[in-house]
Amino acid sequence: MPLFGLLDPTALAASSVPEMPHWDTEAWALPRAEILQLAWEVSPATRALLPRAMHPAVPSYVTFFVTRYPESPIGEFLLAQLRLMGRAGAHPRGFLLGAIANRREAVAELRARWGFPVGMGGIALRRHHDRVMAIVTRDGASILDAALVNPETISGGDVQYIHTVTLARVAEHGTPVPHLIQIDPHYTFHKAERGRPEFSRFDAEAWNAPGVTLNFPVAASIASCDTDLPQIRFVMDPETPVVQGTRRIR
Amino acid sequence: MKFGLFYELSVPRPWTRESERTVYNNALEQVKLADELGFDQVWAVEHHFLEEYSHCSAPELFLTACAMITKQIRVGFGIVVCVPQFNHPIKIAERTAVLDILSGGRLEVGTGRSATWTELAGFNASPDITKKSWDEFVRCLPKMWTSETYSYHGEFWSMPERTILPKVYQRPHPPMWVAVTSPGTELDAADRGLGSLGLTFGGFDEQEKKIAEYRRRIQLCDPVGEFVNDSVSTVNFLYCHEDDEVGRNTGRRMANTFNYLATQLTSAREAYPAKSYPSLGLLPQLRRQAVGPDANEQAGDGLALGGPERVLRALKRWEAVGVDRVNFILNANEVIPQADNLASLRLFAKEVMPAFQDAKAASGGSAVGNGHADGGR
Repeated sequence: MPLFGLLDPTALAASSVPEMPHWDTEAWALPRAEILQLAWEVSPATRALLPRAMHPAVPSYVTFFVTRYPESPIGEFLLAQLRLMGRAGAHPRGFLLGAIANRREAVAELRARWGFPVGMGGIALRRHHDRVMAIVTRDGASILDAALVNPETISGGDVQYIHTVTLARVAEHGTPVPHLIQIDPHYTFHKAERGRPEFSRFDAEAWNAPGVTLNFPVAASIASCDTDLPQIRFVMDPETPVVQGTRRIR
Repeated sequence: MKFGLFYELSVPRPWTRESERTVYNNALEQVKLADELGFDQVWAVEHHFLEEYSHCSAPELFLTACAMITKQIRVGFGIVVCVPQFNHPIKIAERTAVLDILSGGRLEVGTGRSATWTELAGFNASPDITKKSWDEFVRCLPKMWTSETYSYHGEFWSMPERTILPKVYQRPHPPMWVAVTSPGTELDAADRGLGSLGLTFGGFDEQEKKIAEYRRRIQLCDPVGEFVNDSVSTVNFLYCHEDDEVGRNTGRRMANTFNYLATQLTSAREAYPAKSYPSLGLLPQLRRQAVGPDANEQAGDGLALGGPERVLRALKRWEAVGVDRVNFILNANEVIPQADNLASLRLFAKEVMPAFQDAKAASGGSAVGNGHADGGR
């Protein structure tokens, strides 16, 4: 049997585990999004950060997912996410360790609707001729300075985005109970490029990823696409293998 | 139709000093029995770093041991990864030649390019070049086996003129195959005159179409070797038991375990956007099938799991759609006890194999087709 994660959800700081009032989130259409994804291999010891319901990826790796949403129900915003990749049963999933949004309204909505462990910060997504840079700050300090280097055009069909899993406390019978929530957006690609990921600054603690170091570059891509944040369909018990602990709510 | 065994050599956790040795020893015992029972071939994959799923990183060594304890069964080195960071082509030519000599001309060579980020990154190989390096390697290999001296200047490797030694025992050379997991690779096989070593568990209709197109296309091929191997092989699970329900339940548990382990692999495409891996290969299919090792789902119609009648029916359908060979996975994570697996092989040989013997004899006269170069044997 594959290894499982080791995370005890009760040991997490309250700020990194959002509370959601219910599951009845409406979907957000997010047209013309620009998504920079940067991936690095990390130590297998990061299994300590993965819920016990999930299997770690082999090799262990993380992805930064830095997105500009020019249109949304709350207007334009930027979102940066750090995900530890793994498996929910047979399916590849990225467990969301930490996130930053550049608007307070986005922070509140993403926490309450989909359980994003997101805080307020600054995000810059800049394009130069030879690189696309992502600079993320929190409380004025840089917590990520990374880039896709030497972009080359590829087909959108070459890009595969793995669905996200968040951890949130959701009220059930009056008591907040930890749940894993599957976030499974749709993507219609217009343009995509691939390059090499580089970073000059990564503050692991600021992303709820203590001890994580970016050991080996995997790949970077940037894509323009229409996407969404859909209604929640599947939730899982963070302590039970998802094969047994998954519930379809819609 | 011919039957063989197919080994990934999965080893369950917790790993002890003895666990890998036990898996290898069990496999050797199965191969020895399969040889006595009349199975035609045994294949072993080359995989690296694939925890639990496959601890078979040196298949040519395992197959050498197989050859030493058997008399008739052919040994399939496959697939050997045709990517320079994994295997230098000279070393492939040399190692395969030694195995062909030691086995007395029983070698089959499967070629491929690896499909996981785990393995490709582990060897610092770019997913972008694997299809091209595979193409270069398969064109060189037959000439390296058969030419007295050989030199080459290519995109991925080069060598001045040398005598590559030893030479293969079979004449002109062992049959060559291509691992087919991604859609379209069967056409790459056909264009080069190579056998289609199917590693998917697809349904009958889909396979029938692919096989028909492969057969049509290979008629027009420009063979990379000195003969055309026009055989179509597929992989299946085997667990045969007198009690159909016991056979199905036990076999299903093994198949589900295998599928679940396979879905844990990090495919190249999952981590690294690349044109050279346009699909996820067999993984989406396995993810649909694999709910978990204890999943309570029905064994597929095409799987050789159950009582002899059911197994026979499934294999006759594969034969009808044009499959020449079926290679069986016998176990995954050792969920089936060794004694039960040996009993399954015996029952299959007694109750199922005879129904295919006439066809086997009839197809045995082909000197070129169905993959065997007979001259040196």
